[in-house]
Amino acid sequence: MGHTATPEAQSGGLTATEHRLANGLRVVLSEDHLTPVAAVCLWYDVGSRHEVKGRTGLAHLFEHLMFQGSGSVKGNGHFELVQGAGGSLNGTTSFERTNYFETMPAHQLELALWLEADRMGSLLAALDQESLDNQRDVVKNERRQRYDNVPYGTAFERLTALAYPEPHPYHHTPIGSMADLDAASLEDARAFFRTYYAPNNAVLAVVGDIDPEQTLAWAEKYFGTIPAHDGKPAPRDGSLPGVMGGQLREVVEEDVPSRALMAAYRLPHDGTRESDAADLALTILGGGESSRLHNRLVRRDRSAVAAGFGLLRLAGAPSLGWLDVKTSSGVEVPAIEAAVDEELARFAQDGPTAEEMERAQAQLEREWLDRLATVGGRADELCRFAVLFGDPQLALSAVQRVLEITPEEVRAIAAATLRPDNRAVLVYEPTGGAEAGADSDNEDEEGADQ
Amino acid sequence: MTFHPQPQAGEPRPWDFPAPGRGALPNGLTVLRSHRPGQKVVAVEVLLAAPLDAEPEGLDGVATIMSRALSEGTDKLDAEEFAAELERCGATLDAAADHPGVRVSLEVPASRLDKALGLLADALRAPAFPDSEVERLVNNRLDEIPHELANPARRAAMALSKELFAPTLRCSRPRQGTEETVARIDAAAVRAFYDAHVRPSTSTVVVVGDLTGIDLDALLAETLGEWTGKPAERRALPSITSDDRARVVIVDRPGAVQTQLLIGRTGSDRHDPVWPAQVLGTYCLGGTLTSRLDRVLREEKGYTYGVRAFGQVLLSTPEGTGASLLGISGSVATDVTAPALGDLWQVLRTLAAEGLTDDERDVAVQNLVGVAPLRYETASAVAGTLADQVEQYLPDDFQAQMYARLARTGTVEATAAAVSAFPLDRLVVVLVGDASAIAEPVGALGLGPVEVVQA
Repeated sequence: MGHTATPEAQSGGLTATEHRLANGLRVVLSEDHLTPVAAVCLWYDVGSRHEVKGRTGLAHLFEHLMFQGSGSVKGNGHFELVQGAGGSLNGTTSFERTNYFETMPAHQLELALWLEADRMGSLLAALDQESLDNQRDVVKNERRQRYDNVPYGTAFERLTALAYPEPHPYHHTPIGSMADLDAASLEDARAFFRTYYAPNNAVLAVVGDIDPEQTLAWAEKYFGTIPAHDGKPAPRDGSLPGVMGGQLREVVEEDVPSRALMAAYRLPHDGTRESDAADLALTILGGGESSRLHNRLVRRDRSAVAAGFGLLRLAGAPSLGWLDVKTSSGVEVPAIEAAVDEELARFAQDGPTAEEMERAQAQLEREWLDRLATVGGRADELCRFAVLFGDPQLALSAVQRVLEITPEEVRAIAAATLRPDNRAVLVYEPTGGAEAGADSDNEDEEGADQ
Repeated sequence: MTFHPQPQAGEPRPWDFPAPGRGALPNGLTVLRSHRPGQKVVAVEVLLAAPLDAEPEGLDGVATIMSRALSEGTDKLDAEEFAAELERCGATLDAAADHPGVRVSLEVPASRLDKALGLLADALRAPAFPDSEVERLVNNRLDEIPHELANPARRAAMALSKELFAPTLRCSRPRQGTEETVARIDAAAVRAFYDAHVRPSTSTVVVVGDLTGIDLDALLAETLGEWTGKPAERRALPSITSDDRARVVIVDRPGAVQTQLLIGRTGSDRHDPVWPAQVLGTYCLGGTLTSRLDRVLREEKGYTYGVRAFGQVLLSTPEGTGASLLGISGSVATDVTAPALGDLWQVLRTLAAEGLTDDERDVAVQNLVGVAPLRYETASAVAGTLADQVEQYLPDDFQAQMYARLARTGTVEATAAAVSAFPLDRLVVVLVGDASAIAEPVGALGLGPVEVVQA
């Protein structure tokens, strides 16, 4: 028996309208008057996959520079004005997009639109060497804080590099390398802005306690005279064979607290029915406290402190299924690996039970409701579907698509992809004396503010 | 492009922090509820009056193991079945033990609140605490400890607690216990702690979300209403004193590329009338990247990804003798550790000498008050604050009043509060980093005696 959607899950009560300005800027509006807040979210169709060799980290470094002033805004004015208006804001950079967002008290919405338009149209008027040098140092410290100075901190970077071999555009992660950050010049930043920061390469979503007509008029007023730019090069090809065709492996000897087995499986592109099936498979196998891997490794074998799967959804390259197991004290990695393989093989053979399907669909549905609980979360989802799949309306039916997947589809995608010849493996062996067991977070995006 | 002048704000729509309904079930359980239209994931918080201070001598961590064991099976379901049923509701259930007590948090789509509340009630009313599951949780906890010690921020927090508080005070020691104390915990100890400290009459449940079409009274009566227990007096809570003489402790991590800073002392809790001024002053000092600390350390010098100043309640008492931790934290590149601390001290000296400006105060108030409707969009955010208020013996309208009090706080009061929160001669500095690189230059700053301890 399949999972029955809760009434609120159908579209989360979400509706949206789409508009296009003459300069190509797409504007998505969604009304909700329950709380006097409004979210502004702007996705630029540029991420670390657009970076070139020797300039890794540029998209994210550039995102920081977007907060350093523009034609009408001095220094840190963007942060100061939004926060002074009772708003919150940030920006993040991932493989395939850069987003900027403000959530404002509803009566301050116009300010956020003015600020976003000002930097889209006139960033270069304020960009200088001093802010580049300063933010380069900030970003290098972000890298140290989140990756280099924490146990297992570089695991994501290492697995990504294995899973997407050179010269694949996803071979490097958004944070970039220290050497490339050092090499980034003012001219690089200027060229990056001119190439990618154009209205026809962006989607603006405004969600919340808004008057759609007035909001659209403001969008036209502030963004409408920013010229389009058509010089954007096509992103490098991200296509890869469906499976890796062999097991890649790296052993890291580092001062970490316990042994760990991590792996990246190549999965279908985001936006496909198969990727939703893969999401369900990973949830059943490794999401939450009733998953197969948790029950096997943590509860029964007691060989792991934590064991789980995550999904990194990607649209321009195969997605990644991310396995993370931290071993219990004294347990060796081969024992873990054998148990994982056994569970995956059994699942590929038998598929999920009806109860497992119901649980996984209920979990994914709640996660979706969580994302829709804030106007900012809704605006981000509308931008995501507009930028990556060309249609914001797809956000409204996303949860329904997950609920329509059949057990056989879940089994089939597991059989096709969750196999030893379709994974990159990372093994951690501690060098220090102490050895034991859990917690790391896999980051696929970098922010301007912590 | 055509440039336009900065737009002016429109007419604000009023927003108030929700006033909860308050009641009690016949078994003594206190109930707070708040209907939040549109919030389809309902948040439920249960507060158990089982403070860490109540853990028996030598059994630090038993409250943590008990809170985790609540979801490891009941009189109806075994551990695996319980986890499965909970996830079938699309629910998450977390439980954590802290100084004020144990907090159990449930989140679930409104349409399955009935089933999930039934499971929550079973977990509180009739936890099975099976020997083998408790043993597994103990071993799991022991395996977690090295991971915590390897995390620079958590390592710094542990070192600061040890410095500030006398060893006899529970808050001097790690919340979730040490290897030595956790290893002694078994199912009998967990059961004894539960029997002594968990009962409906000293507990509170907070339910927040879109409750349209839900008969919450009936639902509570048939779930948490079935929970029984003998009434008991609340345990008296300890009063907290600390040793904040200026000094530097370096937790050595050879080869670390950054130094984790945690500079702290203790202050009074939210019962103190100075609290709003302290919140305001602390925000101006280090609440965001445009505050004084980051303006220098991040946006001018590039020493850090961000440094924050904060005040965080440790434990409150009905008598108003509670304490909070006042701190400044962040991480800086190893080679600029001493210059960063030097600049940080200069920021504090300048604040004391010249005070905050009216502009700074105004912007801070506009932010702290203006963000309220954003901050409390979700059911879980509202439930969290309502639960905090109960846990800290504050009135249900504390947060609502807080906004009016912030708006009334002037620049002079905010300055005075920030300066007395962070006096230069009463700050304990914990640095988790490479002692061979930082001990000497940091010592030369004269912040206080320097001690190096092994990580």
